Amino acid sequence: MANKEEVLRLENLAYEMRKKLINLCGVYEGSVHIGGDLSMTDLLIGLFHHGLNVDPNNIQNPNRDRFILSKGHGAVCMYIAMAMRGFFDYDEIVRTYGKLDSAYGMHPCKVQLPGVECSSGSLGQGLSMAVGMAISAKVKKEGHRVVCMLGDGETCEGSVWEAAMTGRSYELGNLVAVVDRNCQMMCSYTEEITVMDPYADKWKAFGWNVIEIDGHDMNAIVDALDSLPPASSARPTAIIAHTIKGKGVSFMEKVVGWHAGSLNEEDFKQALVELAANYGREE
Amino acid sequence: MAGSFNFGEWISARSVIGDTLCEIGEKNEKLFVCTPDVGMNLKGFRQKFPERYIDVGIAEQNCVGVAAGLALAGNIPVIMGMLPFLSMRACEQVRTAVCYQNLPVRIIGTGGGLTSGGGSTHNAMEDLAIVKSMVNMTALSICDPNMIRDILNLSMDYPGPMYIRLAQGKKDRQLYEPGTVEFSIGGSVTARDGKDITIIAHGEMVGEALDVAEELKNENIDVRVIDMYTIKPFDKEAVKKAVDETGKIIVWEDHLMSGGLASSIADYFVDEQIRPAAFKRFGIPQVYAGFGSGEELRQKYGYAKEHVIKAIREMA
Repeated sequence: MANKEEVLRLENLAYEMRKKLINLCGVYEGSVHIGGDLSMTDLLIGLFHHGLNVDPNNIQNPNRDRFILSKGHGAVCMYIAMAMRGFFDYDEIVRTYGKLDSAYGMHPCKVQLPGVECSSGSLGQGLSMAVGMAISAKVKKEGHRVVCMLGDGETCEGSVWEAAMTGRSYELGNLVAVVDRNCQMMCSYTEEITVMDPYADKWKAFGWNVIEIDGHDMNAIVDALDSLPPASSARPTAIIAHTIKGKGVSFMEKVVGWHAGSLNEEDFKQALVELAANYGREE
Repeated sequence: MAGSFNFGEWISARSVIGDTLCEIGEKNEKLFVCTPDVGMNLKGFRQKFPERYIDVGIAEQNCVGVAAGLALAGNIPVIMGMLPFLSMRACEQVRTAVCYQNLPVRIIGTGGGLTSGGGSTHNAMEDLAIVKSMVNMTALSICDPNMIRDILNLSMDYPGPMYIRLAQGKKDRQLYEPGTVEFSIGGSVTARDGKDITIIAHGEMVGEALDVAEELKNENIDVRVIDMYTIKPFDKEAVKKAVDETGKIIVWEDHLMSGGLASSIADYFVDEQIRPAAFKRFGIPQVYAGFGSGEELRQKYGYAKEHVIKAIREMA
């Protein structure tokens, strides 16, 4: 079982991160992919602040775990999770996000932003790159893991399943796919458009070790990350995290229109009030 | 190359690739060879370096993505496959996973032009137009089977992505005696000097152009042949020199007439206000060619030797 204090620490960080996301969404003039950011907030806190072996002071450390954000439209969520870990400066993100010459764009670019492992944004491509990185680590007998975060919607892309087959065929126990199963795409609910259930069974059928969790339960996230099979094992692992798009803000939760958007003054205040009610703790 | 050299002899570029990858694999641990189930000539590498041989099955998009991941981890992946599928099925992975991240992935394939014999599904006739348009991409088209050895060796130290086009690669005409010509990425070869007109060609059309030049020698027409094996960036100096010295230019390629090397050279003439005395191009018109050998299809679609010879006589 996960250490209680550690879970509490991570939960507090996730609350802070939600506030930072809402703040950015309120400040930025354009649209932010806030729905899918809030669905994977707890997962990214669990990864960058607990599960991943990464060091903001040594971003080229060859032994570091590699993280690939295949759902690249969640870039700002990753920037903020990494900023809170010391990789980037949150204020700079807020000040420059999406602006000319900023390294912090809507989709992550490794060329412009060292610390990011991989440029992404075109959906369905991340897992193949993760497979390539995991093969390299295995051949070179490096002990680290490669973790790839996917949205469930992008698993409509056939290339994801091509990569899933290769991950199993090359026995990549060092490869972990985390699927943000929020059951929504940009314009619809997944099951209304493309039936994905039984979802975990699909990954099992591709030969993956599958862990299903509530992606907003920090205990479960920590347990899943702590109990991964050894990187030297033969099967890649898929963590299917059941989540809610827009989690934490009632008028965003499971609302199709909040795939991306910006907040007016009233909604901004309301969102912060709700976050405090849902996540705030009495001192 | 083993044995004595016979100019004009035919050997398989694919087998040269297989041998060369084995040689490079011995000294360079960064080399990985990836393929979407097109590994007939990679058996040697597979046996010697099984861990660095990655066959993902018939999945070009995944193959290019995996190669990008290998490159992100500091390796130099060489992908061997069929060009229409690497350049089109996996087009976006090549553009976004490889070129956008500026990764040293080498994409080598067969099926350039109308040589595949497989019909339009298997003909890469628009591939250069596609890959040329990708930022950071270097593109080559190889005629001589031995040239591929030098190019592969050079590619190990060359930054960024690279696309290398072959015809069928089963039976290729040797044009240069090994060791006598120095190749470079970005370079060209003046395969035959001449003063009246220049044919700029790449791939299989270089050998054809040399035949044309030989035939026209009897009519006192002195044809220069430039083997423009680097398509992007092409050798502008050689083109400018040809305009200055021969005036008339023909570009001949087994690719759509629009979008290939001829288009690049036409762009160059426009941008630099270069006015050749004559400029004509031969290649594939806007058609999905049917079945037949490369030579038969070139005749059918108006870019065979006889068409080029006729045009040169008219231009001379």
